Amino acid sequence: MIKKKVKVLNEAGLHARPSSILVKTASQFKSDLFIEMYGYRINGKSILGLMTLAAEKGSEMELIMDGPDEEEAMEAVTELFENKFKTA
Amino acid sequence: MSTKDTIKQRTLLGTPGAGGRGLGRPVVLNREKTVVKPEKIEKGEEENELRFINREIDELKKEFYDLKLVSNERDVEEVIESQIQVLDDPELREKIREMIEEQHYKAIYAVFSSFNDYIQILENSGAKWLNDRTVDIISIRDQLIDLIRNHQPRELDADNAVIFAVELSPTEMVKLSKLNPAGIVSQKGGLTSHMVILAQSLGIPCVIGADWHLIKPERFESVLIDGDVGSVLFDPTDKIIDEFEEYQQNQYRKEKLALKWAEEENKTRCGKSFTIRGNIEFVNELPRLSTRGASGVGLLRTETILFESKDFDVQTQIEFYRQVAQASGDHPVIIRLFDAGGDKLPDNHEEEHNPFLGWRGIRMLLDSPDLLRQQYEAILKVSAEFPGRIKILVPMISHIEQINRSKEILKEVKNKLSKEKVLFDDTIPFGIMIEVPGIALMASEAADMVDFFSIGTNDLTQYMLAVDRGNGKISSLYQPGHPSVWRIINRVIKVCRDKDLPLSVCGEMASNPLYAACFMGMGLNDLSMTTNSIPAVKSMLCTHDMSEFRQLAWSVLKAKTYTEVELLFTEWQKKVELQQ
Repeated sequence: MIKKKVKVLNEAGLHARPSSILVKTASQFKSDLFIEMYGYRINGKSILGLMTLAAEKGSEMELIMDGPDEEEAMEAVTELFENKFKTA
Repeated sequence: MSTKDTIKQRTLLGTPGAGGRGLGRPVVLNREKTVVKPEKIEKGEEENELRFINREIDELKKEFYDLKLVSNERDVEEVIESQIQVLDDPELREKIREMIEEQHYKAIYAVFSSFNDYIQILENSGAKWLNDRTVDIISIRDQLIDLIRNHQPRELDADNAVIFAVELSPTEMVKLSKLNPAGIVSQKGGLTSHMVILAQSLGIPCVIGADWHLIKPERFESVLIDGDVGSVLFDPTDKIIDEFEEYQQNQYRKEKLALKWAEEENKTRCGKSFTIRGNIEFVNELPRLSTRGASGVGLLRTETILFESKDFDVQTQIEFYRQVAQASGDHPVIIRLFDAGGDKLPDNHEEEHNPFLGWRGIRMLLDSPDLLRQQYEAILKVSAEFPGRIKILVPMISHIEQINRSKEILKEVKNKLSKEKVLFDDTIPFGIMIEVPGIALMASEAADMVDFFSIGTNDLTQYMLAVDRGNGKISSLYQPGHPSVWRIINRVIKVCRDKDLPLSVCGEMASNPLYAACFMGMGLNDLSMTTNSIPAVKSMLCTHDMSEFRQLAWSVLKAKTYTEVELLFTEWQKKVELQQ
């Protein structure tokens, strides 16, 4: 299990579109992803869960990745946060 | 009741959501509130109930996929994609399973209750964008429940109808768009809601924030919706209907012409090539840009981001510029620095006696260097992604020193980015607007300092003739075709030819096919205009020879009065039409 702190950098926050991209990316990996914010813990593959976080720009959260491909999955998901959920 | 009251009663005002006009019967979209009772199942039925609900969810997913297949808009696809993700949500599915297997609820109640858990959290969160999404999630819940109940959703007869709704979910919007509605009037919905974004990309006139309940739309026979101004007119008079029909015929003709000309090569009848670009202000103008055959954006106005965006920053700008560059294919995008001031003032700005001669364009930017630095930074950052395609255009230059100072600040920003190891296009072209006569007369000196010129004809005219174009008393004196305007433009063209400096023209003069012909005759063949004018200008330039244009330009440059110039244009048109 690995953990990493990330920050929401995109202007609009973790709204529908970024949430959708995050779920899509996380679901490509076998590892489980949990996201912790303000003591809440949600499943990173759940779009409804992500939306209920209502994470605005500047929010900090911890990603918890657990599974056989956790390193790779963590890299892919962190990159999304860093790139402000821009996909090619 | 006076006539005035009757007229007032028949018109409803809202906020413009998506542009265009539509005429049709009023149809009210009533959504009944879904209620499901917490009924339980017999022991032993759990597995069956679970299999049943999984099948129903797959069925609805299939409907969403089908909807995705028939749409060619990326926005629409993304919206549907996220709806499919909701149905696939592992947590939601787990909740439903638990309610059936462990608490022995009927599948229909398990769905209702599991969805409601999320809906409640979202409704209580208070974030505005979340409220918009709650509608979407309620709509998915209700579609699933309808499916379980085997409710055939009432076939909505939306063909040529103006739809009145409280609000619409994206799926409802996409379904509705296939039914050919004349327009949509909604009570709720913000300008950023999916409904509005989709209406814009699907081309359905839309008015939002219109409280139509008290009017009872069903009482009327027809409704005219105007999405440009945000008005809804009930039972329009015959005269207004005639006007609308004429408008529609015109739109149809324009559309057909536009598509025809967009495919033609940009060449005069004698083979001389020319360039036509679009003047753009909003992202939603972009789809039309390519269908009209524009070669990129000749003038990107950026003031709107300055005024509209509350949490304005570099990132907001970057996203806007990027969207425009992405939509422009391989073509250039000329970004004009904030041209605020004059008649376009921020709310908190103090009034000036002569705003058009006042603190505007580069004058304001040089006094607000942080704003200028931010804009340079945003443009430079985007330029790295589109090397060679992004250009900077500075408005309202009147003094040579302003060119120097603007370039110095650009250099400072470039140095800062280099230090931060941020990539940018180091050779990004830097150009100025020629719109003040004072700098037009110094064109030769200015030309040595910049990479290109763009002539802004609207302001150039008002400054040449000292006519405030917003002043009704002297509006007849505002004459873009005044001989002095043509002469000064011709002077700038000559300087650019001698110095081999790229020159383009943006502004209303370029949108006039006859004036465009005259520009060609003077040797100016790079024109930028409102996207809608492109077809007419292109057809004029493609169907005539350079010799005709030159003859026109020559006679215009000799004219003494505006009347003479106008007469020359009418005669020239008559003559060339006769020859065809």
